[in-house]
Amino acid sequence: MNDTVNNKSQFIRLTRSQRIQHIILMISTTLLIITGFMLQADRWFISVLGNASEAVFWWRGFIHRVAGVVVTVICVYHLIYVVVSKEGRSWFLDMLPRVKDIVDAWQNIMYMLGFRKERPQMDRFFYLEKLEYWSVYFGMFVVIVTGTMMWTEYLWPKFYIDVAGAFHLGEATLAALAIIVGHIFSVHYNPHVYPMNRAFIDGMISEDLMKEEHRLWYEREMNKKENQQNGVDDNAK
Amino acid sequence: MKAQIKVLVFLATAIQLLFTTPMCLAEVDGSCTMCHKYPGLGRIEKAEGEQAKKTKRLFYINNKLFESTYHGKIRCKSCHTGVEKIPHTNAPAVDCATNCHIVDPSTNRSFSHKKIVDDYNNSVHGEAGSRIKDKSDLPVCKDCHNNKTYHDTVGKQTDSIHKVTVCKECHESEEFVQRFYEHIMYRTSKRRPSKDVVKLCSTCHADQELMKKAGLDAVVGFTYTFHAKAIKFGNEEVANCLNCHAPYDLGFSPHRITSRQEEHSPVSIENKIMTCRQSGCHVEAIDEFSLGSRVHPSPEKIRFLMSGEEPVPEENQVIKDPTFQTKVVGWIQLFYKVLITVVVGGLGLHRLLDMYASRRERRIRGH
Ligand code: HEC
Ligand code: HEC
Ligand code: HEC
Ligand code: HEC
Ligand code: HEC
Ligand code: HEC
Repeated sequence: MNDTVNNKSQFIRLTRSQRIQHIILMISTTLLIITGFMLQADRWFISVLGNASEAVFWWRGFIHRVAGVVVTVICVYHLIYVVVSKEGRSWFLDMLPRVKDIVDAWQNIMYMLGFRKERPQMDRFFYLEKLEYWSVYFGMFVVIVTGTMMWTEYLWPKFYIDVAGAFHLGEATLAALAIIVGHIFSVHYNPHVYPMNRAFIDGMISEDLMKEEHRLWYEREMNKKENQQNGVDDNAK
Repeated sequence: MKAQIKVLVFLATAIQLLFTTPMCLAEVDGSCTMCHKYPGLGRIEKAEGEQAKKTKRLFYINNKLFESTYHGKIRCKSCHTGVEKIPHTNAPAVDCATNCHIVDPSTNRSFSHKKIVDDYNNSVHGEAGSRIKDKSDLPVCKDCHNNKTYHDTVGKQTDSIHKVTVCKECHESEEFVQRFYEHIMYRTSKRRPSKDVVKLCSTCHADQELMKKAGLDAVVGFTYTFHAKAIKFGNEEVANCLNCHAPYDLGFSPHRITSRQEEHSPVSIENKIMTCRQSGCHVEAIDEFSLGSRVHPSPEKIRFLMSGEEPVPEENQVIKDPTFQTKVVGWIQLFYKVLITVVVGGLGLHRLLDMYASRRERRIRGH
């Protein structure tokens, strides 16, 4: 698959590989959050489980570990993906933070407050998307390392485990809240795409939305398309 | 201490009058149930003080239940030594070190809990072993042995039926094998769910005031450990208070709990690692596993340390803490609190602004 123009009104936002990676990440993270925060559950929740609570406890530990392994694998896979594959490299380059992002953020806030007439024109990924993406790097690094430590608790002094536990819980809380407030709201309750941005399922973005939200990317893609057509024409000659 | 106000003496007086005949003044062992079999037997007591709480005391003994307790073979008078004649006046408190008529087959001597009572007396909870001045804060036998003493579930375990059949190859009496089978089964199984142990010990050890008097940290921090969370779910594999402070497997007992300052305590610096390495636990733990921070640091303590206060004045503090480690955990928690507020707050604010902006857009477009 390549991420160039598909047809007139639809563009490829996410390739198949990216969608699969996203879905695996989404499911395993959800499981991790649920089974992880069950440990913080209060008596009421446990009393609802009744006699099943012991079994539930066993399963939550099991699922948490399996999902943890899956997340680790998908993260490592992603690291390889952004190095090895062409679409991965293009993704990675477009994700790299630039000075423009800071300017964009400033201008966008000014626009939203009503001090500017126009939104800044964004490229393929705008500053919040980049922030989220890089947060996942940081967050995953923290939870994978501390999670592995707690899984192999007997290899570490108790103090390390305490530190790991504090980081694990803190990072998980941060991630869970950031996902709910930042990510889910922005793809579901974005006024442009309500009720849901379907890109994570079919990978497509409409030309309108693209022009509206990712103007620079749109222009880049159109240029590319023109060049390609020219190139094809050149070859034909 | 208690003003015993007899508010209710149901049948009591009537029965007492009835039996004031010499016939009944004779030794009447076993006849205690004559009166105590009546469910109405009891009285309401009022404690002294401002908010006098009324407690209802039941003196009713269910014979069938009594016989299925582990004291079921002991005569009432073996324990209630003060009750000499019937009808009786207030019975004196029971002393657990009393010799009873039951003979211990291993020594052929009459049995008593004297060894436990002595051991206990020298433990940190006992009058001789404790450091504190106000001995009334210490637990007594009845504080911990508040569980029901009858165990009618052991015999019902399905696999035991088969095993009892084996016994009957040689022993004729069904009742005998059932009794002794249960006797052993009960002792080799876990007698108290971890939840109950935690609840029991926490009645005192999570009480800030009480623990401050003893110069100890309140153990409220235990709730935040993984062990406690697993126990809350009903898991029986993780350690409860007793597995660490009185592990039977390592030769300790709930009646010989000692301060961690004592060399032979299972939680002393030297012995801690052996306690962690008990079978079924962190068997392969490295030597450093038990070092460094506290096993159940109190969050109160973390808070106090962060604010620069001392939870217990230094000179009263029995155990000096590795404060640095406790502080580090506190710093991490603080770091994340700030980070979460900034990030999530920022994202939320951004979202709200966005909604505000798009409403404006719609309004402008609508015009
Ligand atoms: C004549 C009937 C009668 C008989 C027989 C009897 N009791 Fe009682 N017992 C009572 C009554 C009535 C009370 C409640 C007394 C009260 O409210 O002060 C009581 C109370 C008690 C109490 C609680 C006392 C307290 O204040 O804590 C004990 C213990 C006790 N009996 C033990 C025994 C034992 C042991 C025997 C057998 C040796 C026995 N009783 C036989 C009538 C009887
Ligand atoms: C193993 C010793 C033991 C035996 C046997 C025993 N008791 Fe008790 N009983 C106690 C203890 C301990 C208490 C708690 C009161 C105390 O500490 O004095 C108690 C309390 C009681 C009370 C008061 C209950 C209350 O709420 O305060 C009654 C009534 C009583 N026993 C009756 C009997 C009768 C009747 C029998 C015989 C069927 C009997 N006991 C056998 C140890 C025993
Ligand atoms: C009735 C209140 C009470 C109950 C219940 C109780 N304790 Fe204690 N415990 C105390 C008091 C008071 C001290 C302080 C004794 C001293 O300083 O000499 C203490 C001391 C200790 C210590 C010694 C602390 C140290 O290092 O000096 C340990 C360990 C301990 N208790 C464990 C337990 C466990 C485990 C249980 C549950 C089986 C339990 N306690 C139940 C009141 C209680
Ligand atoms: C700090 C709490 C505590 C105190 C105080 C205490 N015990 Fe225990 N005792 C336990 C625990 C826990 C067990 C283990 C069995 C269980 O969980 O019920 C036990 C077990 C026993 C057993 C063996 C019971 C069995 O079936 O295996 C006897 C006997 C006993 N205690 C007697 C006493 C006597 C006598 C006293 C008073 C001197 C006393 N205990 C005080 C906590 C306590
Ligand atoms: C092979 C025959 C045999 C079997 C099977 C057997 N026992 Fe025994 N048991 C004996 C003999 C013989 C004695 C007495 C000699 C001794 O003390 O070794 C005894 C003694 C005992 C005693 C001690 C009684 C006392 O007062 O000294 C108990 C309790 C007991 N058995 C319980 C059991 C239980 C429970 C089982 C089943 C798990 C069982 N036995 C199975 C033969 C057997
Ligand atoms: C995993 C093992 C473990 C469990 C479970 C555990 N403790 Fe401890 N406890 C320790 C160790 C080890 C220490 C000694 C201090 C240290 O090294 O952290 C200690 C210290 C204590 C102290 C002394 C506090 C002080 O100020 O130094 C008390 C009291 C105590 N524990 C009570 C309890 C009670 C009550 C429970 C159950 C609610 C419990 N512990 C559960 C291991 C444990």
